[in-house]
Amino acid sequence: MRPFIQKIRDLSIIVLTFFLIGIILFPFFWMIISSVKTPMELLSRELKLIGSQFTLNNYFRIFEAGFLRFIFNSILVCSTATFICVGLVAAPAAYAISRYRFSGRTSIMALIGFTQMFPWVILVTPVFMIFWFLHLVNSYIGLIVVYIAITVPFSIYMLVGYFETIPRALDEAALVDGCSATKTMFLVILPVAWPGLVATFAYTFAVTWNEFIFALTLMTQTEKKTVPVGIANFLGQYTTDWGVVMSASVVATIPTVIFFLLLQRHLVTGLSAGAVKQ
Amino acid sequence: MGEVKIKKSRGTFSKITIRGFSFILPALALLIFFFFIPSIYNIQLSLHKISLFQTAGGGGKFVGLANFIKLAKDSEFYNALKNTALWLTLATVGLRLILGFILALLLNSYPLKKWHLAGPARILIFAPWGVPPVVAVTIWKWMLHSRYGAVNLIFQRLGLIRQPISFLTDTSFVWLSIILIIVWRELPFTVVTFLAGLQSIPPELYEVARIDGASWRHELIHITLPLLRPVITIITFMITIWTFNNFVYVWLTTRGGPGNFTHVLGTKVYFESFVNYEIGYGATFGVIMTVIMMIFAIAYFKTFFKRSISGT
Repeated sequence: MRPFIQKIRDLSIIVLTFFLIGIILFPFFWMIISSVKTPMELLSRELKLIGSQFTLNNYFRIFEAGFLRFIFNSILVCSTATFICVGLVAAPAAYAISRYRFSGRTSIMALIGFTQMFPWVILVTPVFMIFWFLHLVNSYIGLIVVYIAITVPFSIYMLVGYFETIPRALDEAALVDGCSATKTMFLVILPVAWPGLVATFAYTFAVTWNEFIFALTLMTQTEKKTVPVGIANFLGQYTTDWGVVMSASVVATIPTVIFFLLLQRHLVTGLSAGAVKQ
Repeated sequence: MGEVKIKKSRGTFSKITIRGFSFILPALALLIFFFFIPSIYNIQLSLHKISLFQTAGGGGKFVGLANFIKLAKDSEFYNALKNTALWLTLATVGLRLILGFILALLLNSYPLKKWHLAGPARILIFAPWGVPPVVAVTIWKWMLHSRYGAVNLIFQRLGLIRQPISFLTDTSFVWLSIILIIVWRELPFTVVTFLAGLQSIPPELYEVARIDGASWRHELIHITLPLLRPVITIITFMITIWTFNNFVYVWLTTRGGPGNFTHVLGTKVYFESFVNYEIGYGATFGVIMTVIMMIFAIAYFKTFFKRSISGT
């Protein structure tokens, strides 16, 4: 009798979990299904989980509407910003925080923590004004600089967590062999820390790929807009072509979901390490 | 002589400081340029009456605290403040903590592990976090559509409602809809953090408790929750601040509407600056937001962090 009750209990926990997961995942399913429905079936009052006609027309239409340009802009800005942020700005800073006990280290870490808490929306007005004077509105370089700045604090935070797991003996061995500090970091430590580095790259890329408000205010010309702003523009105030919006949403979600699923284990360690360690 | 001596005695120390700073310098310069200078500039803007069109002239008129006085008399400000504190922050943070904790307990439960389902389940729960917030809003706007939305169609099919609900324009449902969107997109972060916390609790504690005959509820109250306390403390702090400052969910879902019903402080900053073109007044909302967040952060640190440090 006992094992039987145990099994029922086990089963009900599993069923409950996957029922909740089903609810959580339903919007994904609905987005994909809607993106391949015909306009007729989208605007039907009948509840059909899967449309009777399959069409890729919505996808062709988003590219006709200039969506490819938005994708190009997003990839250009986000990948450049991610590469410079993680590889050239955050990695050396994180390495120094992890390896050197210099004076001012604690206050710099506090500053990084503070900027992480900082409301970006407050910065929008002053940054817009400053960029206006510097002629950086509607400039790729302007948005890239913004994206490096907003992602640097968290990248440093994640990388410090990974660097801490690498034994110091490795640094010492490199120094004994005559490596300079810069060489030690780039040629010895970074290659060993690659899983953390890749996770940080992915996370940073996702943050910039998702970013909305700076892209909205700093890129006012249509041909400079990024994917999130492009999608928001498809959401017309009065009439919205939902097939187009849903297929654009699918396209915008693909890169980040792939990143997150592939790297979720590394991301979990990196993101929660700090919180759990506290 | 004296100089040389000082140099020698502090040589290694300052060398490390210089090297450390040279590695950190690019990051530091960027943070100062991007966070520090604009924050100061924001305060300066809040003391001016300046229109977006005047930016090229660099002008604007110094008006002292006039913008702050205007704000103190503005009923819109109090409406936005209430919305931000109560609906945007308190409701969504509370729901995320409760639901996140329940889901983390389920994911960490013995049956899921036994059947090797914990891994796949975790990956699936993680999924909404991979969705850009803009996309999360568009999906839900479509799902909540008053005529053709899946939610209305399902509810009607199940016989829960007769007439379709205008989720995004009806004042009794609009906040519920925004809260739903935020919780759906942001829940995975809470789940994952709680899960990491649960997995760091040594299993021996539960074994000992079980030998002593502790019930499921006793384990929860006397082992799980106390040991998760540091995690709960820090995650509550982080998500509260992130949500309080958030602009994108409300702006994209309702643009502050219907009317001004759902405006929050974040959308007001944008709205005053870039829709009403009142840069100075928009900056004033920004200054007030910063002040509120700083007071909150200090109060939170004093009450919760100190206690958890002195407790251990």
